[in-house]
Amino acid sequence: MATVIKNLQVAAGSLSLPDKTIPFWGFANAFFGSPQTPGPLIEATVGDRLTIRLIHNNSFARIGEPISIIFPGQENVMVRKIPSGPLIPQPVQPQYAGGKMISLTNYLDENVDWLIEYSFTATKPGIYLYESGTNPEKQIQMGVYGVIVIRPSGYNTPDHPNYKTAYGAGTGSDYDVERILVIGEIDSIMHNDVEPGVYYDMLKFKPDYWVINGRSFPDTLAGDNNTSQPYGSKISCKVGQRVLLRVINAGFQNHTFYLGGFVGRVVAADSFPLMTPTLDATYEKTGVTLGSGQSFDIVFTPTTPGDFYLYDREYHHLVNNNQFPGGMMTKIEVTT
Amino acid sequence: MSLINLWVKDGYLSTPDGNSIYFWGFSKSENGPAQLPGPHMVVTQGETVTVNLYNTLSEPVSISFPGQTGVTVEGQPVQPQYSAGRLVSFVNHAEPGDMVSYTFTATHPGTFIYESGTNPHVQIPMGLYGGMVVRPADYDPNVKEYKTAYGTGTDTEFDREYLLIMGEIDPDLHQAVEEGRSYLISKYMPRYWTLNGRCAPDTMLMDNMDHLPHQPYSSMIMAQPGEKVLIRYIGAGIGNHSLHPHGNHTRIVGMDGRLLRNGNVDLSYKRFTVLVGPGQTYDQIYQWDGLGYTPENPIPITLPNLRNMGIGNVGWTMWSGSPYLGVKGDIPKGVTSFNEFGEYYFMLHSHKEPQITNWGEFPGGMMTMIAIYPSLSPDVGILT
Repeated sequence: MATVIKNLQVAAGSLSLPDKTIPFWGFANAFFGSPQTPGPLIEATVGDRLTIRLIHNNSFARIGEPISIIFPGQENVMVRKIPSGPLIPQPVQPQYAGGKMISLTNYLDENVDWLIEYSFTATKPGIYLYESGTNPEKQIQMGVYGVIVIRPSGYNTPDHPNYKTAYGAGTGSDYDVERILVIGEIDSIMHNDVEPGVYYDMLKFKPDYWVINGRSFPDTLAGDNNTSQPYGSKISCKVGQRVLLRVINAGFQNHTFYLGGFVGRVVAADSFPLMTPTLDATYEKTGVTLGSGQSFDIVFTPTTPGDFYLYDREYHHLVNNNQFPGGMMTKIEVTT
Repeated sequence: MSLINLWVKDGYLSTPDGNSIYFWGFSKSENGPAQLPGPHMVVTQGETVTVNLYNTLSEPVSISFPGQTGVTVEGQPVQPQYSAGRLVSFVNHAEPGDMVSYTFTATHPGTFIYESGTNPHVQIPMGLYGGMVVRPADYDPNVKEYKTAYGTGTDTEFDREYLLIMGEIDPDLHQAVEEGRSYLISKYMPRYWTLNGRCAPDTMLMDNMDHLPHQPYSSMIMAQPGEKVLIRYIGAGIGNHSLHPHGNHTRIVGMDGRLLRNGNVDLSYKRFTVLVGPGQTYDQIYQWDGLGYTPENPIPITLPNLRNMGIGNVGWTMWSGSPYLGVKGDIPKGVTSFNEFGEYYFMLHSHKEPQITNWGEFPGGMMTMIAIYPSLSPDVGILT
């Protein structure tokens, strides 16, 4: 039972798409990081106490709005804020001004506050979003989202029954190769309007780029790096290995993540494992349709070597600027 | 071993509102018409299947078989195809005028889609998709326990079966392709929604109508009271479709060609509405034994309301004029009844109501009927 502390800031930055660059907002590791989307991966083990802070940003371009974080799937989230309080942790609450709700949770006003600190105990393994709770229709779409992975105890201890499992022994979630895939979409016109502060009518929302881990194909194939979109999504494995795909939808649209011809076994939905000691409710699919905020953990075992594309089965999302190939697509390379 | 030859060619689809739409489709023979959806492939579990694809279009074409693993071309696993480093196809393709031959072993029974793996945002909406049914290894249509979707003992016995493939058509895309103009996929806006390539009311016509040479498959579901009807759905479009039969729920027994069962645990479940996602398949058992019907007392407990029988300013109805199954009665003057033998009709349709129109005009689109007959030939509801 450790304490996991993550200090974050929210800042404006520049996002690279295959054929253009647009502004975005994202989480940054405080003091030494730069804004990125998805935000820094937060990893913890069941039983850990997570303390996640949003720190007053003096180093980067501020986004000019109050900022906050909500944690879908986590319970009993507590908050404190310095200096305007509460100074002693209290349960998070929606925030109102003049009778109008202005934030789904307690927020940081960078003109007044130095930091806001959210804390909760990791009770269930799985993958979870953390995302903006303030002007979320705008801020999440601008890139203010990230992923928390909570591991079962013993996941990294060889010979432990939970070793290399997503949900512990007996859940069918054993894996050799794991990849987190955060899917979503981008309306580049919106990004170009919002950052300079031009009014953008969200009813006009019409995405033109579709992303995995913040990148559009073929950028998805590049490895992890230090850019504003640090996480690659290419998968490499050997024949016979168990590949765990952890797909989570941070976007506003539904997407059908298609396994490129493979049949995968869905072992968890919204981080609830489908196999329990009394019931195996896992099932096999060639693709899964994810609504906004939903996640699936899928395990499959390639039996032949080769390259296979994984993509959004909504084929009009496999384009950049209307040109195929692009968009929400990545690749798995299977070797002998 | 099954050998299936497919030719990719073009043709024109007919819609009930009089439109004629250029499309690309698969054909069973060199001189036959392109069809939407492509020819049903019906094979048996364990069988080696070879599909030869002959491409008469002016761009590369391929077929991907989601759910079939170990697909090979010339003895090698299928591989993505590139041109100048740019992805063209997810799997090996046939260049214009050329052919490609795919081989795989159908390892699992169930319902599968086959579709183009090339330029997919254009080729699949243009019509390059079809359905594949894999029979369980022990399938025997003449023995009740062995006439099943997933094998004896899987609780998937059926008396009749129907395959419904959903799609969408944006006429602007089709016209742009026909005229060789560029088309912005971001403008994609379907105006027609199809079951087996047809829009209602053509969906209810029989197979192989002379005036629909490119759309050979009916979507009319016919059965007797109490029969188990296996309805196989395939989502071939890029949208979700909420399919919903009146008359009863369906029990979903398989998805994506996989039985919903782990060992002895039955995971099948009932739904009033099934959300058919893109590229996904659903196998369901439907039974109508509704409203207290028995052969001895063939009258529903609740009498149909005339207003729900399509009588009114529409001028036509599917109703027999009698609440008794197998009996015909009087209908109001000036109303045409399409009822044959006093059968019941239940609608099966997309619950996204704008999709049960043809270019905005109701009725149309993704809609068909389930007809319950007092008696019906055993030759109806056979998939070949």
